[in-house]
Amino acid sequence: MIQSADDIVRGSVVHADICIVGGGPAGIVLALELSRTGRSILLLESGGEAPTEQARALNIGEVAEGSLHSPPDTYRQRVLGGGTSIWGGRCVPFDPIDFEARPWIDHSGWPIGYDEVERHYAAANAWCEAGEYEYDARLAAPNGMRALLRGFSPRHFDTNGIERFSCPTDFGSRYRNRLRSAPNLRVLLSATATRLRAARDGSRIDALDVCNGRDAAFSVVAGQFVLAMGGMETPRLLLTSDDVHAGGIGNANDLVGRFYMCHVAGTIGSLRVNGAADTVWHGYDLAADGTYCRRRIAPRPATQAAMGLSNAVFRLHHPRIADPAHGTGPLSAIFLAQRFISYEYAKRLVSDAPPSAKTWLRHGMNAAIDSPSTARFLLHWVKARILADRKFPSIIVRPRTNLFSLDFHTEQAPNPDSRIGLGSSLDRFGNRQLRVDWRYCRQDVDTVAQSFDLLGQELADQAIGQLTLAAGERDIETVVRRDGAYGGHHIGTARMGATARSGVVDRNGKVFGVNNLHIAGSAVFPTSSQANPTLTIVAMAVRLAEHLSERVTRVPSIRESVN
Amino acid sequence: MPDSIDYSRKPVLILGASGFIGSRVAAALERSPIYRPVAASRRSAISVDATDMQSVLRALRDVDCVVNCVAGKDDAMVRAAQVLCDAARSTPPRRIVHLSSMAVYGAATGSVTEDHGPVEPVSLYGRAKIACEGIVGRYVRDGGDAVILRPSCVFGPGSTQWTTRLIRLLRAGRLGDLGAGGDGGCNLAFIDDVVGAIVAALDAPDVSGRTFNISSSADLTWNQFLMAFSKALGATPIRRIPGRTLRIETRILAPFRRVAAKAVKAGWTEAITPSLAALFRQDIRIDSGAAQSALWLHRTPPEQMIAAVLRDNRTKQELAAV
Ligand SMILES: Cc1cc2nc3c(=O)[nH]c(=O)nc-3n(C[C@H](O)[C@H](O)[C@H](O)COP(=O)(O)OP(=O)(O)OC[C@H]3O[C@@H](n4cnc5c(N)ncnc54)[C@H](O)[C@@H]3O)c2cc1C
Repeated sequence: MIQSADDIVRGSVVHADICIVGGGPAGIVLALELSRTGRSILLLESGGEAPTEQARALNIGEVAEGSLHSPPDTYRQRVLGGGTSIWGGRCVPFDPIDFEARPWIDHSGWPIGYDEVERHYAAANAWCEAGEYEYDARLAAPNGMRALLRGFSPRHFDTNGIERFSCPTDFGSRYRNRLRSAPNLRVLLSATATRLRAARDGSRIDALDVCNGRDAAFSVVAGQFVLAMGGMETPRLLLTSDDVHAGGIGNANDLVGRFYMCHVAGTIGSLRVNGAADTVWHGYDLAADGTYCRRRIAPRPATQAAMGLSNAVFRLHHPRIADPAHGTGPLSAIFLAQRFISYEYAKRLVSDAPPSAKTWLRHGMNAAIDSPSTARFLLHWVKARILADRKFPSIIVRPRTNLFSLDFHTEQAPNPDSRIGLGSSLDRFGNRQLRVDWRYCRQDVDTVAQSFDLLGQELADQAIGQLTLAAGERDIETVVRRDGAYGGHHIGTARMGATARSGVVDRNGKVFGVNNLHIAGSAVFPTSSQANPTLTIVAMAVRLAEHLSERVTRVPSIRESVN
Repeated sequence: MPDSIDYSRKPVLILGASGFIGSRVAAALERSPIYRPVAASRRSAISVDATDMQSVLRALRDVDCVVNCVAGKDDAMVRAAQVLCDAARSTPPRRIVHLSSMAVYGAATGSVTEDHGPVEPVSLYGRAKIACEGIVGRYVRDGGDAVILRPSCVFGPGSTQWTTRLIRLLRAGRLGDLGAGGDGGCNLAFIDDVVGAIVAALDAPDVSGRTFNISSSADLTWNQFLMAFSKALGATPIRRIPGRTLRIETRILAPFRRVAAKAVKAGWTEAITPSLAALFRQDIRIDSGAAQSALWLHRTPPEQMIAAVLRDNRTKQELAAV
């Protein structure tokens, strides 16, 4: 059942076998998987069924370097469904190399192997509604997917890996009925966890303090607690709960909030393809199961090892929208419509600097001159995006000339100095707000620069096309700084380690030293991969549910008592 | 056709023998060394009008058991059950195996065993099936021997309702991935499994007076099944059907299609009725554990059910049609 915590009386104690904090994809999948075990499950979500200003305000925080990282109340949603209420739905599994301790990347390596996560990817694909677990372009679509660049067979890059797209499924609305009808499951909305209460010896969590929308406090007593609050709020709650564990729960070795990673991502260069227009395919193919699939260009593991690179991926992209020189109507139409695009999407799509009147005019001309294709594009957008349940994933526009740019999305090397901490201002409940101090390092910039160069070389060697950088992009670091931390991916802030010296949680996601506290979500990822995180977050949630269902001992079912 | 009738085999009267399930039961008994089918319907060689007392009395005279597969209009079904039980009171067969349906549970959710009561709304068909069960129940209380079977959606070659209809709707892209509209439990009873349970019920010990759920699939959602079936049929790429489209189908188009269906049987006259859409959402799991132990119910896995349908000539013809 789904209820509002606003009806819970101040000072009550709510009991459950397992209490999950956070109703994003991780929390929802955990709750639904665990509800089948017969144990009483309580899911607490700070937001409601729709976003509210009051909930958003709880996400506010400080950023050390505003040009590098967006404010914490953007790219995050306090609502049932969490980030998936606005996500793009790109689903990609991690690669085996992501789990290895790579000598060329400090602090790399997971305490679990690829296969431990891989066996849950099929279930994760189903939860995300991203079709079957098949990420090979030759097998994903009937008769194989179209070639990206016909005749291109690079030695250092794999072009057969793909990304698949979720609807994009908003886990909150998609699974609402199931949350309502699942046996043994109670969802409390408008329930914000404010503090974990550890036992005197610190070995257990005795209770969790929670506040409802009317600021009435109550507590939750459970056999097991799972934090699934996203990669920023999870370290915040651990750091805030410092009354028994000085410095915060799980923070004996000063790891909580450190190693904060997003992805380094952006759009660079221009690729002029030599062949005819039909030698390039940068759009989507449909799998038999109806999901949109798209090829990517990924440096091979051996190349990464030989050159000391982090993991990375490139996608063929239309030219930068903001620059009217592309002369393409649909792209200019998007530029003109930027007021109607949400902050999160406009940020990368549209422009870096406020455009001049002349720029506006040139875009207007483009849209007018190229009006037939603009109209075709808009019609397709309405039909395949706005009206469709499985939405056409992104803007795909065939440039009028065979000129493309490259999207890159690369792993960020783990860096202890990049961190989420507590700021000085307080939220409504008197807890310190977040402070984000995101850093990138040389390795991150080198990965982009070197893999870009290598790709350019192979494209030239095989006479596929010329990949060049604009004058302002030659120093890759300026590109990295221009696009900054990729929003919405919050990784590594409660990392998994083999021992308490290297991790906040163990191989099962349990906080070292605390017997009944687990963490779900990308906070536990020790490294960030080239892949977007959600598919792996969900796979790991399924894995954690399996682990917890073996672990929890039965205690009485949900009941409430007023002190 | 057997050359001669083997009178050492026990004669089993099948009421509704020309129907989908009845005909399959007759065929199974034909092959049986123990039983001999006496296939009765209004149209068959042994003509029995199941709603006519004299006709049923005559039919009961020389048989060992009765299988009641009478389908059709709701009131005719109830009438046939009444006539059968009344006739059986004067000429009792050794046992009646009566076919009911999971429709008796109405809108029940969760794991459903035989003792689960009906949950409103119950369809008219479900009400009729409940009435029939009541009649059979009274017959048992009066000392008769009867077993009630409640199959879930009977799937398999020849099933118009759960096979041909679905094939048509999937190929037309009107069903597919239903999102939240298809999260309901897909409880399919494979025809061979149903027939096996019926035959087993004729002589199984300690089942007299009992009721059994008959279902083959477990823990399958309609989305999972419809997508697997679509893929097997080559009805790809599978379409995601928005909730809005389903609502237009059930609320606006269904009545028209049903009227048209009286004149033409075709893909476009297959209606997605509100009750069908509700079933796709209904989170119900039919528990057939009792039948597995008492009637040795075999549960064919979904992939094998689908494969059997694809091998069938009627499916091939359906797929060949545009
Ligand atoms: C614009 C955008 C596009 C994206 N696109 C993609 C994509 O294409 N592919 C991809 O893989 N990922 C994408 N993401 C990232 C994706 O949304 C996240 O990875 C995912 O939502 C994380 O899931 P989670 O359950 O761990 O955390 P969240 O989704 O952040 O959910 C955490 C939940 O916990 C609740 N919560 C927080 N604090 C408390 C508290 N104290 N008490 C109670 N509840 C609390 C929050 O309200 C929230 O609902 C995108 C994100 C954004 C913003």
